[in-house]
Amino acid sequence: MEGLLVQLIIIGIKILFILAIVLGLGAYLTLVERKVAAHIQRRPGPMVVGWHGLLQPLADGLKLITKEDIFPRYGNRFLYNLALVLALVPAVLVFAVVPFGPEFEIFGIKIKPILTDVNVGLLLVFALGSMAVYAIALAGWASNSKYALIGSMRKAGIIVSYEVVITFAVMGPIILAGTLSTYEIVQRQIDQKLWYIWLQPIAFVIYMFALLAEAGRVPFDIQEAEAELVTGFTVEYGGIKFGLFPLVEWYVEVLSLSAIGVVLFLGGWSPINIPFVGFVDPLFFLGPLSPFVWFALKVGLLFLFVLWLHWTLPRYRIDQITETAWKVMLPLTFVNLVLTAIIAPIVWR
Amino acid sequence: MIKKVFEKPLSWLERIFFIDFIRGLSVTIRHAFSKTITTHYPYEKLTPPKRFRGFFGHKVVDGREPQPAFDEWVERFKIDVQPGKSRCVVCMLCKRACPVPQLFEIEGEKLPNGRRRVSVFNMNMMLCTFCGFCVDACPVDCLFQSDIHETASYTRRDAVLDLKTLERIGRDWQRRREQEPDRIWIDDQQRMRLWYENDLTLPEVKRK
Repeated sequence: MEGLLVQLIIIGIKILFILAIVLGLGAYLTLVERKVAAHIQRRPGPMVVGWHGLLQPLADGLKLITKEDIFPRYGNRFLYNLALVLALVPAVLVFAVVPFGPEFEIFGIKIKPILTDVNVGLLLVFALGSMAVYAIALAGWASNSKYALIGSMRKAGIIVSYEVVITFAVMGPIILAGTLSTYEIVQRQIDQKLWYIWLQPIAFVIYMFALLAEAGRVPFDIQEAEAELVTGFTVEYGGIKFGLFPLVEWYVEVLSLSAIGVVLFLGGWSPINIPFVGFVDPLFFLGPLSPFVWFALKVGLLFLFVLWLHWTLPRYRIDQITETAWKVMLPLTFVNLVLTAIIAPIVWR
Repeated sequence: MIKKVFEKPLSWLERIFFIDFIRGLSVTIRHAFSKTITTHYPYEKLTPPKRFRGFFGHKVVDGREPQPAFDEWVERFKIDVQPGKSRCVVCMLCKRACPVPQLFEIEGEKLPNGRRRVSVFNMNMMLCTFCGFCVDACPVDCLFQSDIHETASYTRRDAVLDLKTLERIGRDWQRRREQEPDRIWIDDQQRMRLWYENDLTLPEVKRK
């Protein structure tokens, strides 16, 4: 009984911690994005609210919350609100299977810094990722607007094609690790002294492409295409509802997919890897905190890379995007899968 | 002859290693870590060049009027010239030159001593396109365009410049910028620095 209570408390703390990190960080990543975008265009970005605009997300949030909630006349109110929930919940739920660090002991209780170490963690991730298509299709349909509907149809088309690609791309690391549990995958990489990016560069590149497509980042941001579709499926949303969609799409999803990418290809919380030899840890002085810092650092760098791409590349056309997915990416993942399936047993089993 | 130029297609090696992506990324990262080139507007303000086409003003009589044009027009219309007041001779040439003439409201009055002077000179800035035709038309170098570009106002009434405002802008301009050499871009050092590619020397014209 006591053990159960302790477990419940621990899980509660974990949930609060993850929610605080994801939503708080998500809000602050808006500032990061604006700063990065500004500096790439030789502007300083927000400078007025707080020191170098540090309080800007709070001001934006306040503004969005106090705005009027407008609803289109012939829309479907139930689906309109449901789309919001369907967008937010799966995106945040992905963090339930993201391992933030190795197991540690505190007050005699062993704690894994992962909410649920399900043994099909990755399956859960991609199942939840596919849920995003519901949110977007519903948002476009319920707002009864041509722009919104076109935007949501485009996005649905992209997600449907890239879900297939991303699932086949992560098959490589899964075969190498021999498990679907995210925690175990990182543990295997540490045991084998190998980040899987060294053996799976093609899979990693394809994963990055799919990440951009799923999160609606440039060069695959045609669902929002501000020049032609105003802002795509979020046109008819106002106030904080409008604020939540980009928050989920651009920040929470990119963060969660970056975290999964780090787990799969960059060895999770392990320090810098020299293939087959071992790990070099320049942050050893942080002691037990070092794995967590490494994980945050890798996810942060991957996120910054996505931002960098976003503010560099132009946008592809919808037919080009789906063509790349079905005609280039998918065959490449098959080749990668076959090669891995043949070579991996020879090396490890 | 029209020469068609196409970009060289990427080779397969360039395609595999995303060379075009890397080129673009290198450009953006270079810019990201260099200094910003912005002006923090409400806190810092740029002075526009002297020939900037901003709000209008009336230059006042201060002894620098274009001669002999000014004396001729004064004599023709029997204008009452008073130092520190507008140079306007109520010739209406500005109104004639204007593409939207109704924005001008010009009236003169006759003084007891028989001379005339301008009494009403309203310009409705809501209709103005800042084309500057009226300035070109002014024969006595009275109407001009200043460097004032913050023209927002709370009411439509505030957008109408009356004679007093025009004279105030003119006095302010004559105090601040009248003496400044009229720079055009070819000899403007600052612009030469910005647009270094314009660093060209015009061929000298030889006259026989």
